[in-house]
Amino acid sequence: MSSTVENVQEEEVDLTAANQVIDKYLNMKGALMPVLQEIQESYGYIPEPTVHLTAERLNVYPSQIYGVLTFYAQFHMEPRGRYIVRVCMGTACHVKGAGRIGDTIHERLGIGHAETTEDLKFTVEHVACIGACGMAPVIMVNEGTYGSMSVQKIDEVLAKYREME
Amino acid sequence: MVNLTIDGKQITVQKTATIYEAAQEAGVFIPVLCYAKKLLPYGACRVCLVEVEQMKGRLIPACTTPVTEGMAVTTTSEEIRKVRKTVLEFLLVNHVIECPVCDKGGECDLQDLTFDYEVYPNRFTGEKFDLPTDEVNPLIERNMNRCVLCGKCARVCDEIVAYGSYSFINRGFETKIATAYDRGLNCEFCGQCVSMCPVGAILPRPFKFKARPWQLKEVDTVCGYCGNGCTVTLGVLNEKVETIRFNDKIGVNNGNLCVRGRFGYSYVNSDERLQKPLLRKDGNLVEVEWKEALDAVAEGFQKAQSGKGLGVLAGARLTNEELFLLKKLAGQLGTGNLDHSGGECYKGLTEGFRETLGVQASTGDFPQVEDCDVILSIRSDFYETHPVFGMVVNQAVKRHGSKLLVLSDKKGKFTKLPGAETLLSRPGLEVNVLNAMAGVLLDEGLAVTKDVEGIEELKKGLADYTPEKVADQTGVSADSIRDAARKLAAAKNSAILLAYGLPYSAHSRELGAAAANLAILTGAAGREGSGLYLCGEKANSQGAVDLGILPAEGAMGAREMLRAAAAGDLSALYVVAEDPLSSYPDRAKVEAALEKAPFLVVQDIFLSPTAQKADVVLPAASFAEKEGTFTNAERRIQRVRRGIVIPGEAKTDLSIFEMISSRLGGQLTYTGPEAVFAEIAKEVPQYAGIEYREIGPQGIVWGGKSLDISARKVVFVKGGNPVDSPIQLITGSTLYHSGTISTRAKGPLAVIPDPFLEFGQEDAQSLGIKEGDMVTLKSNGTEIRLSAKVDRRMPRGVVFAPYHFPSAQLNRLYKGEAAIAVELVK
Repeated sequence: MSSTVENVQEEEVDLTAANQVIDKYLNMKGALMPVLQEIQESYGYIPEPTVHLTAERLNVYPSQIYGVLTFYAQFHMEPRGRYIVRVCMGTACHVKGAGRIGDTIHERLGIGHAETTEDLKFTVEHVACIGACGMAPVIMVNEGTYGSMSVQKIDEVLAKYREME
Repeated sequence: MVNLTIDGKQITVQKTATIYEAAQEAGVFIPVLCYAKKLLPYGACRVCLVEVEQMKGRLIPACTTPVTEGMAVTTTSEEIRKVRKTVLEFLLVNHVIECPVCDKGGECDLQDLTFDYEVYPNRFTGEKFDLPTDEVNPLIERNMNRCVLCGKCARVCDEIVAYGSYSFINRGFETKIATAYDRGLNCEFCGQCVSMCPVGAILPRPFKFKARPWQLKEVDTVCGYCGNGCTVTLGVLNEKVETIRFNDKIGVNNGNLCVRGRFGYSYVNSDERLQKPLLRKDGNLVEVEWKEALDAVAEGFQKAQSGKGLGVLAGARLTNEELFLLKKLAGQLGTGNLDHSGGECYKGLTEGFRETLGVQASTGDFPQVEDCDVILSIRSDFYETHPVFGMVVNQAVKRHGSKLLVLSDKKGKFTKLPGAETLLSRPGLEVNVLNAMAGVLLDEGLAVTKDVEGIEELKKGLADYTPEKVADQTGVSADSIRDAARKLAAAKNSAILLAYGLPYSAHSRELGAAAANLAILTGAAGREGSGLYLCGEKANSQGAVDLGILPAEGAMGAREMLRAAAAGDLSALYVVAEDPLSSYPDRAKVEAALEKAPFLVVQDIFLSPTAQKADVVLPAASFAEKEGTFTNAERRIQRVRRGIVIPGEAKTDLSIFEMISSRLGGQLTYTGPEAVFAEIAKEVPQYAGIEYREIGPQGIVWGGKSLDISARKVVFVKGGNPVDSPIQLITGSTLYHSGTISTRAKGPLAVIPDPFLEFGQEDAQSLGIKEGDMVTLKSNGTEIRLSAKVDRRMPRGVVFAPYHFPSAQLNRLYKGEAAIAVELVK
């Protein structure tokens, strides 16, 4: 069907892990969500070939899986950094200068909201209230929470994670 | 039944009806955008809101709410009008208003409702969508700025087509209909989404800026491609077929069509159509007047009559009336050498079915398959040869929960359906598996044997076909053979499907008989609701069998005629609506026959490769240019109607036969198809009592919904032998083409422009072949080159090439066998 198709470069991915996940859920009805979640756990994101594999093995259309992936914010279709920096943009943080915190991180890492550094170390996300208004302005890096942020503190936090693998 | 009132009208409806359906029955109009008769209720658009006395306090969507006893429904009130108008205002906030250039203008549901509800000015303003148009493919254009998110396209593609191109993606305002990864559409291009779209969001590209809907003359006729017999409503402007209109009111297809039916009409408008008779003079074909051409035909045929005789090869694209006249003409010419479709492929009907069931046709009608519990499809190609019947199977599986068993040498659409079980066999061994299944039924005492003849002989023959032995030969496991047989036996209603056509001439009698054996032993044969289907590849394949376009007793069939012609034992060949050189098995033999035949007349709509060899070429009319009847693969006789005039001086096959007859002093003159049909009704028992004028919008199924079978005789037939070769070539139909005619049609060609050789991924990898590589196929001392296509469909060691393309000359390799041992060179 040469004349009708866009040229799409399919990435090459080892599907073993995805196959193992699907094996577990093969006989369960409505297994799409847990399958996608566990694939994301293994790969850090949902690579396109695993979508086609899931579609074929679970007998779901790829279009439907794409619908699910784009509906839920929890799914990511691009590789993500090892450290997810969540910058709170809730009301309290906003008042206390969350915007400047975001800008500074952008300056230091070269990435804005929903972007990932080329070395796959950091991903930045601007998120709604994370429920730590007392510590505003606040950021999270993976599971760690850092409150009362300032430009200097940002550098300290980033330096800490830069040193880690 | 349930009683209710709608706007004061008392009505009684089925208890499964919704308020909307009840209103339709009562003749009360309720507006809808997301409702479609053939889809499941959805309730997305909210313009069908009504008031129900018993559910006061809120408005009720009519299209999703079932009726209840005593319900009192009001469909129009100030309140309802206000709410519906608000819904429309919201839709129009984001919808781009492009009515002057939108092809839907004039038949757009949103446009009509906006007008009816006087939605102007709009109280709300907001952001307009600004999404790029999907114009990657040449057939279907998607402009999501015009979409109202009714979801009909996604639903039809899932529920009926079972392809699943579309889904809702994203959330909130950004929600839209898209394909996986929001890419350009790349699908079967059946265009069901086009026909369902209530607005101008999904449109047929070939029709862009061609006409306004109200300018089109609509002509209901029957598609000229496969034996499914779908109604196609031609949209005609200035004697040109500009589009195929959506029509779910008549015929057998419920408005469903495939890529051929919806986009394959364009060959009738082709500039390459033959417009004048051609006569060979000094080695070249030159245009002549009809008189000169007919003189030459008459002279040639007369010479042949006094010489070594004449042979007639017909195509199953002719109407019943034309076939009937051709048979009469052959009689007048004193020859019984008459045949169609290569003479082999239909033998499942004329021999297999006849020997066992005493009939030569499918025993059930198409719609009943939707309610079957178990469906056995022999060869996955069934969806590709008869896509719209395939959609009935999709619905059976998806809605009724039917168990689908696929016995095939490759995977395909059917094998992907939910719960489908594929018995993947080595090529050419389907009969072996069917035999083993019959054996299981007899062994396990599951078989219906009362009043069945031939059981003992069959048992003896099947001794060699135990599930274990057959598993060894075919690769289908013994367990799955047993399981399939048990499922078929246990089914209350079952259907067995098999298609035939020129690329499937191997084991045709055996396949027909083996399938019939199963139908008899499971009790499906002759049982109401169950059916055995052997469906012809061409629009009127069944008609050709009904009317006996077959060799007379002791006369030559297609193969013998070609052999005789090649040996110089036949003085003339008359080929009508067929291109044997491109499509018959064994090209060398056909070539020799055409070369050696002293006189060759070809009657066709294009100068086909066969026609190029002719002494006289007679230009004929396409299905869109003539009147008459086709009989589809479920025995439904339907009216073919003229939509456009015949190009140039070409004539209908009917009038050409009359002219030849009268030029030779015959009496074959009728006042038209109706008069011929009256003759058919007199001479062909199945058509007795049917009147041309009475053939209504649903056609007439001869023999009725369930055909009475006149015999129950099981016959032992031998299975095939495995081909011993690391690579085997199989041929057949692809979804996007039908016969050779579709290779002249822009729509199918846009999707599959060139012949190809299909590999499975494993073979492609081990042979180092990539998509698009040119590969040489060697066998029987000849070779051909084809471009490679790689996907997941083909099992290891099996490659597939479609037979449609004259340029591929596949029939230089294909000589009628089920599988061909080939060598591959990159």
